[in-house]
Amino acid sequence: MIKDRIKRRWKGLLLFLAVMGPGIITSNVDNDAGGIATYSMAGAHFGNNLLWTLIPVMVVLIIIQEMSARMGVVTGKGLSDLIRERFGVKVTVYLLFGIFLTNFGNVIAEFAGVASSLEIFHISKFVSVPLSAVIVWLLVVKGTYRSVEKIFLFACLFYVTYIISGILAKPDWGAIGTSLVRPSLDFSPSSLGMIIGLVGTTIAPWMQFYLQASIVEKNIAVKDYRHARLDVIIGSILVTIVAGFIILTCAATLFKAGVQVETAADAALALKPLAGKYCSALFAFGLLNASLFAASILPLSTAFLICEGMGWENGVNKKFSEAPQFYGLYSFLVFLGAAVILLPRIPLFRVMLISQMINGAVLPVVLVFMLILINSPKLMGRHKNGKIYNVVSGITVVALVALTACYALSFIF
Amino acid sequence: MHDDGSKMFFYLSDLLDYPVSDPEGKVHGRLTDLKVQLGELFPKVNSLVIRNRREKSALTLDWSWVETIRGRSAVLKPGAGSRLTDLEVGNREILLREDLLDKQVVDTSGAKIERVNDIHLLIVHGELLLVHVDFGLRGILRRLGWMRAIDAASDWLFTYRLPERLASWKFVQPLASDPKSNLKLNVTVRKLHELHPSDIADIIEDLDRTNRSSVFRALDTETAADTLQEVDPRLQLSLIETAPPEQASDILESMEPDEATDFLADLPEEKKERLIRTMEKPFREQVEGLLKHEAGTAGSIMTTDFLALRGDQTIADAVESFRNAFHPLDTVAYIYVTGEDRRPAGVVTLRQLLLCGREEKLGELMNPHLLKVGTDDDIKTVADVFNKYKFLAVPAVDGEGVIQGIITLHDILQATAEKL
Repeated sequence: MIKDRIKRRWKGLLLFLAVMGPGIITSNVDNDAGGIATYSMAGAHFGNNLLWTLIPVMVVLIIIQEMSARMGVVTGKGLSDLIRERFGVKVTVYLLFGIFLTNFGNVIAEFAGVASSLEIFHISKFVSVPLSAVIVWLLVVKGTYRSVEKIFLFACLFYVTYIISGILAKPDWGAIGTSLVRPSLDFSPSSLGMIIGLVGTTIAPWMQFYLQASIVEKNIAVKDYRHARLDVIIGSILVTIVAGFIILTCAATLFKAGVQVETAADAALALKPLAGKYCSALFAFGLLNASLFAASILPLSTAFLICEGMGWENGVNKKFSEAPQFYGLYSFLVFLGAAVILLPRIPLFRVMLISQMINGAVLPVVLVFMLILINSPKLMGRHKNGKIYNVVSGITVVALVALTACYALSFIF
Repeated sequence: MHDDGSKMFFYLSDLLDYPVSDPEGKVHGRLTDLKVQLGELFPKVNSLVIRNRREKSALTLDWSWVETIRGRSAVLKPGAGSRLTDLEVGNREILLREDLLDKQVVDTSGAKIERVNDIHLLIVHGELLLVHVDFGLRGILRRLGWMRAIDAASDWLFTYRLPERLASWKFVQPLASDPKSNLKLNVTVRKLHELHPSDIADIIEDLDRTNRSSVFRALDTETAADTLQEVDPRLQLSLIETAPPEQASDILESMEPDEATDFLADLPEEKKERLIRTMEKPFREQVEGLLKHEAGTAGSIMTTDFLALRGDQTIADAVESFRNAFHPLDTVAYIYVTGEDRRPAGVVTLRQLLLCGREEKLGELMNPHLLKVGTDDDIKTVADVFNKYKFLAVPAVDGEGVIQGIITLHDILQATAEKL
């Protein structure tokens, strides 16, 4: 009996390990250059005031990612595939074009991350950005990405430094507790913009496409679904913990010292309690890893989702002549994204934040499509959405639209 | 529709969502879909699907009530308004928009999966036929309403026109959009059988999971077995697992017993037992025998088709048992000579079988220098034996020295190639 139970436990663990991955990888890519920049700026400019937003954001993140994973497992199809089959070519083309532009903004942000991290070592962006674009492009096209992915993932342990630094900075835990339970919301444009950015970077539209595609690629069966769900939940909680510590560390260091984050060197000061004078090097390493990791995945996933929706051949195992649109889109995103950063005097940290605000504004659109699909009994059968899911996602859509509208209006008045 | 001798091509996108009216101009609703009857080379449209504001669900009207149909409008015969019925889709019918437009299909001429951007229809002899499927960019642009602008621009700039990419319906294999409607697929999946199993395997790999298993299930046993062996090993198990047990065991039975055993060994216990139970008896016994052996041992790779006869039997007996063998014995190169206890004592070659007299005793002809391997020996040991002695096959014996099977050059090659 007991032996049986242990055996079952073991089997469960092994299954989880086999199914694990998509959720945790997605989460780690989620903390990309745009993410680090946005969290740093949120902490440095607003102190602990916006920390509370992470709690609703985490709940929504879990719910949305769970929906993506469930759709992937049940239908075995990608999100853009489902959108095309359900809404027809017209809606698909315009939506994918919007997603393309949004993701292009994110790719630009990744290269901004590369440029600003290497600026700390006094490497000119005119060297670092073209070089990293070529490296990323080759990594993926030559198919060596899979082996490098593990290195990227391992290097994500860098985020632990924020946790240590945050504790060493001796923040006012009482104040953090109060700000978590007693949310404050002021309607200044900069604060609204930052909240949209925080939501947009944590729950980026591209993640839903990427997560669902990875689940489909892993060919996870419906009976193993609960393992995939656990993977997604763990990943989402990890993202939020990292985000929370970046914000509170920056609040305890940068906000206190009144630093305005404009460059990586500013943001790096948050790691001073841990690394002292090496904080810049440590931060640069972390930001570079995050940027390169996402710069490898984002253009690829964007090219993939567009080709899938349009019905063009895709995948890095195809030759260029077999999948010209796929390689064309991929190369366009990588090289043009890098080229934008080469514009003289482009404010790198601003670019990263703005790209995440666009994410936040586009998210409700993607969510509406997801909600329609996941409530279709024909598609999902008995796995369609429950009531709580629909209510929470509905509120999210309304809240995001309202936030974006308020933000836009605040410029007019 | 009456036959006025005219022949005219339409795109589905030129018809959908346009009003359907009677000759006096009274609008009955919008055309939302067309229903076709599959089976013929170019399937006929048999009904219009119409939606109007008054009714919640879609209505259908038989094709015979159509007076004329041309781009952007359909005119019905007088009195058609009362002939609208609720939508029902039969077994051999599909809806063009619901089941085909924007969906993935297999293009059997290129052995590729494509997405349907538009559908090309032909009016001939008063019938509306499904003739081509549009896979091209033109189909997308037409539906977006950008066609004229793009054509004008590319003509002006490059004196170039985007080419059409139409594929004849005879090369198009539709897939089930709805996993529950597999029946439709069975009707037409024969188009896939024209493809080579390795092409079918490529297609299956590219499909989504529901279509993957429904296409696989629709293949005949022979094709399914060949396809299965070509498919990415990571998918093989899930294909076998999702196939209905009778089909799965039929597929396995059409393989060599040792190959079938390799599949079974990886399946969950419960599924494995159910498959074995549905197999024919001689095959089942062989598989059960093979399954007892641990992976990586000679027993797990051995072939159980072999000939073993007693020393007092004759060449004629050997030829006779060859004739009566249940299995094709493709891999047999030697005949093993055993005592009463089924312990191998020597070997007779096929050459001797051909050249020696019919009445000669096997026991006298046999070469008594027989090399054996144990079923528990590991594959490496067996490979070394093959390497050293250049045999075509070696008998495998159990702990008591009783012959259980043979390991052929093919078996050992396959087992070692997997490791390379």
